[in-house]
Amino acid sequence: MGARGEVPNARMTALGLLRPAASTAATIVVLLHRVAAQDREAFAALYTATSAKLYGIILRISRRRDIADEVLQEVYVQIWERAAYYDAAKGSPITWMVAIARNRALDEARRKQAVSIEDTPEVLGIADAEELPLDRVEKSQQLQRLGRCLDALDSDRREVVLLAYREGMSREALGQRFSRPPATIKSWLRRSLLQLRDCLGQ
Amino acid sequence: MTERDEIDVLAGEYVLGTLDAGERATAQAQRRRDPALEAAIVAWEERLASLADRVPPVAVPEDLLAKIEAKLPRADRPQQIVALERRAQRWRRLAIATSALAACLLLAFGVRELSRPHIPTSYVAVFQKDDASPAFLLTVDLVTRVLSVRPVAAEPPAGKSYQLWIASEKSGGAPQSLGLIEANQASTQRALAEFDRGTVERATFGISLEPAGGSPTGRPTGPAFHAKLIKTSR
Repeated sequence: MGARGEVPNARMTALGLLRPAASTAATIVVLLHRVAAQDREAFAALYTATSAKLYGIILRISRRRDIADEVLQEVYVQIWERAAYYDAAKGSPITWMVAIARNRALDEARRKQAVSIEDTPEVLGIADAEELPLDRVEKSQQLQRLGRCLDALDSDRREVVLLAYREGMSREALGQRFSRPPATIKSWLRRSLLQLRDCLGQ
Repeated sequence: MTERDEIDVLAGEYVLGTLDAGERATAQAQRRRDPALEAAIVAWEERLASLADRVPPVAVPEDLLAKIEAKLPRADRPQQIVALERRAQRWRRLAIATSALAACLLLAFGVRELSRPHIPTSYVAVFQKDDASPAFLLTVDLVTRVLSVRPVAAEPPAGKSYQLWIASEKSGGAPQSLGLIEANQASTQRALAEFDRGTVERATFGISLEPAGGSPTGRPTGPAFHAKLIKTSR
């Protein structure tokens, strides 16, 4: 590629991104910058590289495909509108996009408290698949550190944190799961969060 | 608990998602006003991010990208007149609204010129890289040969000036300075009496960011925009 210049054009980048191995955080940062400049081709490439990950996260929380489909659409419209505000100095672009996706899915889930796990066979059928190769090494180090700190929590409390983060379970739902009043779940969460924060050293 | 603990617990519960609808809405409003809460939320997003890595990706229904693209707001600036150099990073966060403003101004000019059917040949060029960069609207009246530049949300950074250039056959295509764009003025006028009509019509105009007082070399030295004229009346 050297003879044609060092900066790949948008189409070449888009083609490269069809292979998941090319979805490094650096590539995502470049795409987000292009999206901030309203580059629709970069937007399609960004979507190709990241949508399955965000959809998986949203579906776990939303529990219904029709809701997850709506949420995913809103999330990518928000990413298009807010790409100019992403600041690479402040954190990973994936974390930024995941936060937008989780927030939107959680807003929807808290608004519609009625959906229960029993209604949602499609989510329960999903087995753990292999991780996305997004910055695998760096992420796995983070995960190990977080894992050590989570292991230091009592098992019920660790489970509460994981179910809340991944499944978007409310205090009420967690209370039912663990046969405790929601107020107890709240106090577990307080202590767990402070312990995690101190364990992670920030 | 300390005040810091309170903020971290609120932020942590917000990120975990265990706040109820009312608490979430309150936290969302508060994070916009309270940098400490905002920072605490971002910190939890980072701390817990690796948990999201273990959530398996799920294939997205095929029609969703098209649906999303249909929802994206269209940038309605005229495409053929935006032909510009790579923008400077520091301009990125400037007015998102410049595109719409430039389009409105362009429309206003166009309508005004079209409503004067017997006065021929006014030209316009829009200088803008993208919606987040400064914009300039340049108009030329080829009868009076007067050029006018209006900055739109284009305050130069401290210690810098915007300088206007023309590259024409007359100079063999090399940029010639038309002087600085005056800061704090709605528009800057220049007489183009030395250029004939055809030369102006075919010329390329440029605006570059230069040290205060203008380019020290007589040639553009900073990041530059280029544009050619299009007719707004005949």
